[in-house]
Amino acid sequence: MAARCVLGSIWTSISGVRCMANSSNISPFQRITISPQLLFFGSVQNRGIRHVVEKKEGKTTVVSEKLAYLKCWFIIAHCFMIEGLTEDVPVGPQPPNPTAQCPIYRWNLQNKYNYTDVLLLSQFIRSDGGMLPRRVTGLCAQEHRKITICVQMAHRAGLLPKHKPPLPEGHIPKKPKPQLNRYLTRWSIDSVKPIYRTGLKWCKKRISVGHPALKDNVQYGKKILYLKH
Amino acid sequence: MYMSSSVNTVKVKYREQWATFARSWYLIDARMQPPGKIATMCAIRLQGKHKPIYHAISDVGDHVVVINTRHIAFSGNKWEQKVYSSHNQYPGGFKQVTAAQLHLKDPKAIMKLAVYGMLPRNLHRRTMMQRLHLFPEDDLPEDILQNLTEELPQPREVPRRLDQYTPEEQEAFPRLWTPPGDYRVK
Repeated sequence: MAARCVLGSIWTSISGVRCMANSSNISPFQRITISPQLLFFGSVQNRGIRHVVEKKEGKTTVVSEKLAYLKCWFIIAHCFMIEGLTEDVPVGPQPPNPTAQCPIYRWNLQNKYNYTDVLLLSQFIRSDGGMLPRRVTGLCAQEHRKITICVQMAHRAGLLPKHKPPLPEGHIPKKPKPQLNRYLTRWSIDSVKPIYRTGLKWCKKRISVGHPALKDNVQYGKKILYLKH
Repeated sequence: MYMSSSVNTVKVKYREQWATFARSWYLIDARMQPPGKIATMCAIRLQGKHKPIYHAISDVGDHVVVINTRHIAFSGNKWEQKVYSSHNQYPGGFKQVTAAQLHLKDPKAIMKLAVYGMLPRNLHRRTMMQRLHLFPEDDLPEDILQNLTEELPQPREVPRRLDQYTPEEQEAFPRLWTPPGDYRVK
């Protein structure tokens, strides 16, 4: 039963690899049908992180995939070689509430994080700044929404400079955009219109700051959280 | 100081009076700060309300120098939503510009209007505005640099960017979730 599970995971990983191989740039002299041949030995390890590593040796490109959780060797055609390397993932600190479903509840961080906690937010985003899906991270619906809001605010505040989408090659920006510092921006910059008539005191049109989803955050100090300025 | 106050000579009285009534020069760095909070600090010191000898008639206000006014930070969407209006008293002379447009045109204007609105509406306001010195960048002229006595702390704590954290700190932060079986981290 364990062997069947492992084989199932191998097939899923191969299908992923095949898609990856098809999408990667195959040079003309390497137009060879990819037929997988498996050699399998070893047992299943703890979960780890999977990285794809490409190495060029002369004319052939060796695409090696570090499968940290399976001690397997994959050989796909004589031009592509996929290596499975073991990587010992160090055991980190344990969460104080391990029985909870959502990672935020597991670490008792509910109502305690903000847009400034970049170390926390960066764990739930892709390299181009987008959020990872909920079914992957395991967040509950409310916390996923709160994290998304905080990530958006952090992007607009310029706290995640390296997580930008990749620009196409040879992209020339038309006009240099004005670099205006901002923080706690609820709405997207282009979607907001100026308030030309603010109204009298009893019917003033206030400017919204922050987000009401983070209303329940813990306030360390006597100041109340103002959402309308 | 203890010894000098117990002696009570004429020279000591001169020195104490000078120290009490002297006009000081304060420096405030407005980088990544909300202009309203900077303006309240400026207005308090320009009026002299931070001194126990304050009175509205006696001119006890100090000089305030604000640097990096080009790099102020508005919270929320105020750059797009906040509108500065003016009328030059001609028909059709009503102008409304957003904070972003005004800032690009003149980087000191937002700070100046904020402080102007926080000062009392009397004839002293113009003299207090003359004692406020705004600079869009770091560079100050020599004579002002020599006059500065104290730098005031910034009102808002500037958050750290992700690349300003050292790799050790990033490693020390625990991983909250483990990726499932065959999910590839992009």
